[in-house]
Amino acid sequence: MLKNKFNCYCFCLLVFSCTMNDNTRTYKLVKTKFPETITNTKTKKSQVLSWNKPERWVVSDGSSMRLASFSVPYSKGGGDLSVIKLDGSGGGIEANINRWRRQLNLTPLSLVAIEKDITSKQGNLGNYKMIEIINSETNDAFLCAIILLKDSTIFVKLSLKIEGIAEIKNEFITFCSSLNFD
Amino acid sequence: MTTINYFFKILKTPKLFVFTIIWMMVLVVLGTLAQKNMGLFAVQEKYFSSWIFWFWHIPLPGARPTMIFMLINLSFFFFNKSLWKINKMGIIILHLGGILLLIGGGLTAIFSSEGNMVINEGEESNYVEDYHYMELAIINTTSNDFDTYTIFDYNVLKRNNILIHENFRFEIEILHYIKNCKPIRRSTPSEVQYRGMMKNFMLSDLAPLKEENLNRPGIIFNLLNTGSRVDGIYGLFLGQTVPQKITVEDQDYIIVFRKKRTYLPFSIELIDFKKVMHSGTDIPKSYSSEINLIESDIKKHLLIKMNEPLRHKGYTFYQSSFIEGPDGETTVLAAVKNYGQLFPYISSIIMCIGLLIHLVIKLPKLIKSRNV
Repeated sequence: MLKNKFNCYCFCLLVFSCTMNDNTRTYKLVKTKFPETITNTKTKKSQVLSWNKPERWVVSDGSSMRLASFSVPYSKGGGDLSVIKLDGSGGGIEANINRWRRQLNLTPLSLVAIEKDITSKQGNLGNYKMIEIINSETNDAFLCAIILLKDSTIFVKLSLKIEGIAEIKNEFITFCSSLNFD
Repeated sequence: MTTINYFFKILKTPKLFVFTIIWMMVLVVLGTLAQKNMGLFAVQEKYFSSWIFWFWHIPLPGARPTMIFMLINLSFFFFNKSLWKINKMGIIILHLGGILLLIGGGLTAIFSSEGNMVINEGEESNYVEDYHYMELAIINTTSNDFDTYTIFDYNVLKRNNILIHENFRFEIEILHYIKNCKPIRRSTPSEVQYRGMMKNFMLSDLAPLKEENLNRPGIIFNLLNTGSRVDGIYGLFLGQTVPQKITVEDQDYIIVFRKKRTYLPFSIELIDFKKVMHSGTDIPKSYSSEINLIESDIKKHLLIKMNEPLRHKGYTFYQSSFIEGPDGETTVLAAVKNYGQLFPYISSIIMCIGLLIHLVIKLPKLIKSRNV
């Protein structure tokens, strides 16, 4: 019986150890010519964006997409501000504002209708566009700024409740106007 | 009797073999019926290559554990003292054949590989692309002399898996593996986190097709901790003509989602592909590939024809198909490597000998009993 047990043990060990465990492999090969890439995301040494923020704004952990991320407190709550820079027009004003509108469960608008709500501001990087997007049913709002540059666009979005707009708006404009490249 | 002894007694009993054989028959029937809707490969994976499969909400053993129990049972029976008698020589040999057949099946299931080798006229190739399985290749192209490949197999390309390797300093989080997808151009700008092809396209999920090779798998992953704006969500799909290129910490990488490649210790160069049609019709009569087998810079001139494959270093190359394009002809060779390929032949011969010996041993008794 002992011999049987030993045989069984050896056999089971043999059978169950037969698994492929080569999920990762590495090797070197002579150079291959790959097709050119359309979207070459090579990191260039870019200029560093700087800003002046109100003292009470706290730097927060945003996604890796964000150039900057802040928690913006106000008397009845807090907002989340993000600064993102995209190459070119970043999809354009109409598409981006409608994307934000959809995030607030609002229907998209035409460019003509959107432009009625846009105000123009002057900042260190030149004129920029600002818009308030409000969903009064959910009490949610976005304060957004779009800064068009020569080869890129900076998007600043502050997500907050409607009651915070009046209190934060001036700080938001001051922040957006202070954005500059070192 | 202890539980272990009872367990061994069950493993030894011939009834177990009968039950496993019946269960294999059931699996064959289920697989055959399911093949109509699922396709051959999916059925093979679900019923025959699996340990457990779900039949509605009931977990049932797949063919793999069933055959292991069959092998254990045969082995116990084979090593049973009561069997080792001269008048049971035929049965001993028969069991040996059965055990070899199952061991060969196990070797084939675990170690065999099959795929395609696609070669254009005038070009050479040294790799085989798997029929079914995919891989994610991270290729460091910084060096002027060579490319360093880091390959992640199909098994690890599962949602929420994070791929890390000492060859690169970033992380890849798998967000979605799509069995069959279709790239669709975005009508509105993407979310800001998308990078590469995903800025302009999205990968739409399609229902997997029955014919596995008609599916176009895709993968969506998050590149993390590059320390730069390269971080973001990327998507790749099979057959993407433009690979994804990134640069992280002055190292250039190309990320490719492709069929699993097995590199060979030799190359095959296609000199000429020939096809002969039945006269006056478009029906092919025969295909053949005139090739050079290149090994250690030595070329060997050979011909691969239908039913006349090339066998070299454990690989067998069959003339499988061809592609006719504006730039010339391309041959498609089916490449198979099967460590257990001889087992069915050897075990069948052994089992035949065993049955024959058993018949010879039993024949006098049978004749005598008939005469009585």
